[in-house]
Amino acid sequence: MQRQDQIDNFGREVHRRRVAIVFAALAALLAFFAILNLCIGSVNVPFADLAAILGGQDASSMNYEIVWNIRLPRLIAAALLGGALALAGFLLQTFFNNPIAGPYILGISSGAKLVVAIMMILVVGGSGVMTSWMLVLSAFVGSMAAMMFVLLVSRRINSMSMLIVAGVMIGYICSAATDFLITFASDANIVNLKNWSLGSFSGISWNDIGLMAVVVLASSACVFLLSKPMGAFQLGEQYARSMGVNIRLFRVALILLSSLLAACVTAFAGPISFVGIAVPHLVKRFLATSAFLGGAIFCLFCDLIARSVFAPTEISISAVTALFGAPVVIAVLLQRQKRRTD
Amino acid sequence: MTENTLNTRAATPAATNNSHMPVATPNSLPLVETRNLTVGYDHKPLIKDIDIQVEAGQIVTLIGPNGAGKSTILKTIAGHIPLIEGDVLLSGKSITHASPHEMSLELAVMLTERLRTELLTCADIVETGRYPYTGRLGILSVDDRAKVREAMEMVNVWDLRDRDFMQLSDGQRQRIMLARAICQESKTLLLDEPTNYLDIHYQIELLNTLRHLVNTRKVGIIMSLHELPLARKISDWVVCVKGDSIVAQGNTEDIFTSAVINELYGLKPGSFDPVSGNIELEVGPKPPGQ
Repeated sequence: MQRQDQIDNFGREVHRRRVAIVFAALAALLAFFAILNLCIGSVNVPFADLAAILGGQDASSMNYEIVWNIRLPRLIAAALLGGALALAGFLLQTFFNNPIAGPYILGISSGAKLVVAIMMILVVGGSGVMTSWMLVLSAFVGSMAAMMFVLLVSRRINSMSMLIVAGVMIGYICSAATDFLITFASDANIVNLKNWSLGSFSGISWNDIGLMAVVVLASSACVFLLSKPMGAFQLGEQYARSMGVNIRLFRVALILLSSLLAACVTAFAGPISFVGIAVPHLVKRFLATSAFLGGAIFCLFCDLIARSVFAPTEISISAVTALFGAPVVIAVLLQRQKRRTD
Repeated sequence: MTENTLNTRAATPAATNNSHMPVATPNSLPLVETRNLTVGYDHKPLIKDIDIQVEAGQIVTLIGPNGAGKSTILKTIAGHIPLIEGDVLLSGKSITHASPHEMSLELAVMLTERLRTELLTCADIVETGRYPYTGRLGILSVDDRAKVREAMEMVNVWDLRDRDFMQLSDGQRQRIMLARAICQESKTLLLDEPTNYLDIHYQIELLNTLRHLVNTRKVGIIMSLHELPLARKISDWVVCVKGDSIVAQGNTEDIFTSAVINELYGLKPGSFDPVSGNIELEVGPKPPGQ
């Protein structure tokens, strides 16, 4: 008995050590890509100078300007928003009990995009200025509207694939409407909309970062507090209920948090595909709770490619995330099929 | 051997008390009581006037033909589908007023629906049974882990603790889910077809475990069973569900008579003997020499 207890304790010790190793590895990867993102670009900043620049020296040099005002805010945004996307995807997968649910594929990002585009055209057309707050708020309205539509559909038909089809359709409708609006809006300010509507981390300023950090980190903290009912929910709604989870409250919290996270991403960087689906699956192999870090790393990596491979021309971030994310989704589907036939 | 180990009815207070009508003391509120309950889906009544009671230390079994609505009754008691009329009381408190947490201390469930999980070990699954007792982040104490282990050892699945739940056989999964329900330490266990997917060896083992729980922890059990011989062995009180009502309920020996069972399942007289479990086919045995 004594020996058995020791073995059990040892098992827990191994588990704890494994958790620590995974987190350390993720943190190291994050730091690695952060440094790459700071150094590489249309102008390469030598790694040797980086420490000095970050330490506040060489304040007059061009590299200082590039690192502090362009690359650092962009890097932080990519990390925060990437984490937010992965988390939103994880929440939606839990909610719908569907492995390929995510903010982009369910049309939630596109809903946010449409409302932001309408607001921009209205406000900027009336020669006002969109503040970050208004951006996030209108994106939230849009993502909630799309979310409600998807919920309505999922209530009527209880099928995994139909849910995805409905989401993809609403995504197409919203994207088409957005394109339509952008094509006929001539204002010079709206030219930016075109870039944004394809998805990009470029042009993010320190001002945006503040609000972004507040929204993303606060929502992530809420998600962390939900980790207990989320574990119970993995056994399905009925078991979760029998363990004492307040299902209605939990569902509302999942919807609000995932919509808010997806809205925040869309408001600042436009719709970004596949991060929400691919990353939780990549990271779950190690640990479910590390989705945020995984999303941050994935987006840093993709943004680095988006802006450096064809520099100075930038590729849209969604093109890169799809290139690396879509194969993961296919692999997930194949694996599930295989498990079912086994 | 099995005859002996299963035949523990006389040892239970429920059976000696003539079960349904115990001596009224202030603390003897039934664990589960349905009053004039009507159950069904989407506001459409399916079964009416259900009055069932489960006392501490008693095993109540629902029997009846397929599709008779045994699961519907159990799901309604568990609060998974809304009741249509009447009331369900758990330890005297209506489930319409009970919080999810209070419910979880009253009832632990084991359902027939197959579970699909991702990357969860058996220990992970059983540990969710401790949910009502852990803090906000759901971290298990040493005590919780001991309870998890105790429950897993009780149903002989401790060796499976680090295996992926999805890679187990249906019978093994069923036992894991039972361990999960046991370590929730609720006053009543509600089991929907617990012997599904189990071969006869594990069916008997499962019933032994249930009887052990009832005898040692004085839990109440309400469950549905398909296998009549098992139901006859294990139950203190049997409820017959058919059509839109409870057609009969009573002590096991009163229910397991040819008349009641033939009526319940629509059998011809003589084709099934509920006491011996013997079946008579109309066609007769295979002729010799073929």
